[in-house]
Amino acid sequence: MTALIIYLLIGAGLFLFLLVMARRKNTPVEGCGEEFVQARHALRALQLGLLPANLVERIFDRGDFAYVTAESSREICKLFLAERKRISLIWVGRVRGEIRNLMHFHLGYSRFQSKLSLGTELRLALDFVLLLFACRTLQLWLHLRGPYSAPAMVGIAAGAAARVCRISEQSLAFLNPVAGDSFQNDSTTGGTAV
Amino acid sequence: MSNPAKRKDVMAATQDLRRRTLAHIPQPLERLIYLSSTRDYNTGLYRHEGLALRFSEEASCEALADCHRDAFNELVAASLQDLVHQLKRYADNSKASLSEFIGAWRELQPYRVAIPAGADSLSSELLFSNLKIALAILETRLMAPWVGKPSASPRPSLVR
Repeated sequence: MTALIIYLLIGAGLFLFLLVMARRKNTPVEGCGEEFVQARHALRALQLGLLPANLVERIFDRGDFAYVTAESSREICKLFLAERKRISLIWVGRVRGEIRNLMHFHLGYSRFQSKLSLGTELRLALDFVLLLFACRTLQLWLHLRGPYSAPAMVGIAAGAAARVCRISEQSLAFLNPVAGDSFQNDSTTGGTAV
Repeated sequence: MSNPAKRKDVMAATQDLRRRTLAHIPQPLERLIYLSSTRDYNTGLYRHEGLALRFSEEASCEALADCHRDAFNELVAASLQDLVHQLKRYADNSKASLSEFIGAWRELQPYRVAIPAGADSLSSELLFSNLKIALAILETRLMAPWVGKPSASPRPSLVR
């Protein structure tokens, strides 16, 4: 009797496992255009809005702090630090949010479209986990110690985010419009004129 | 009009705008305010009679929008010291007194409507934050003029 119950439990477990796997396989590729667009939007927000080196440098630039300290009263120094802390927290919060969007896309949809090697996928997964952890730690650190407390961690987070963006770009490359130049080149090399 | 020809027209209009008009407005803050004033807030389209006559309405609109974005990006990349300097100069060139200027900018925050469409929200927030601090620094200087200026003589001391 006990053996029967064990077999039944194993059978139910296997059935559930198969059900989960079947659901994963049936993730609708055709109907997931919105996810691709969202991932593309996240990638653009990271590359153009959040990770440009000059913006990150400007937010965490110590030169501004030195200027305010030398030129202004204590109240303005406090105002400056509060403002920069607010901006740096917005920055790291938005980086984290967009990275989560990209991770969601990679977990659910990118495998159907992209030809990433297993090694790249594993490295990407590790990058996502480390990056989310780094962002959370950085958020906590900036909140407790202020905007100038962890310059190295800011650099590491920005670098890792840029790396993730580069790999994600490969997955979303098929969404890029075909450049007019390539049509022209084809035409000049004997292809049909467009 | 084909796309490359249109782009060429916009580039020519941009160059013309930079050479004739913006060359006389050297500071990004002044350029940002000027260019935002050429934008119709009901349509979001930019208008410049002279430029539209020389090129086309569409090309002049795009040229003004391009230059507006450039001015915004320059201003976001400016250091706080540079921003204070630009703000002081802008206030000096306005007809208002410095105290009136600071009061109005603090209360009305006109710079909030001067940013180009599609600007990243974080860059905008950084600029607003820097302008807020720059205004506070200018106000302190107004109250205590010796603060922030290289002193020729030591500050008056209460201790004798």
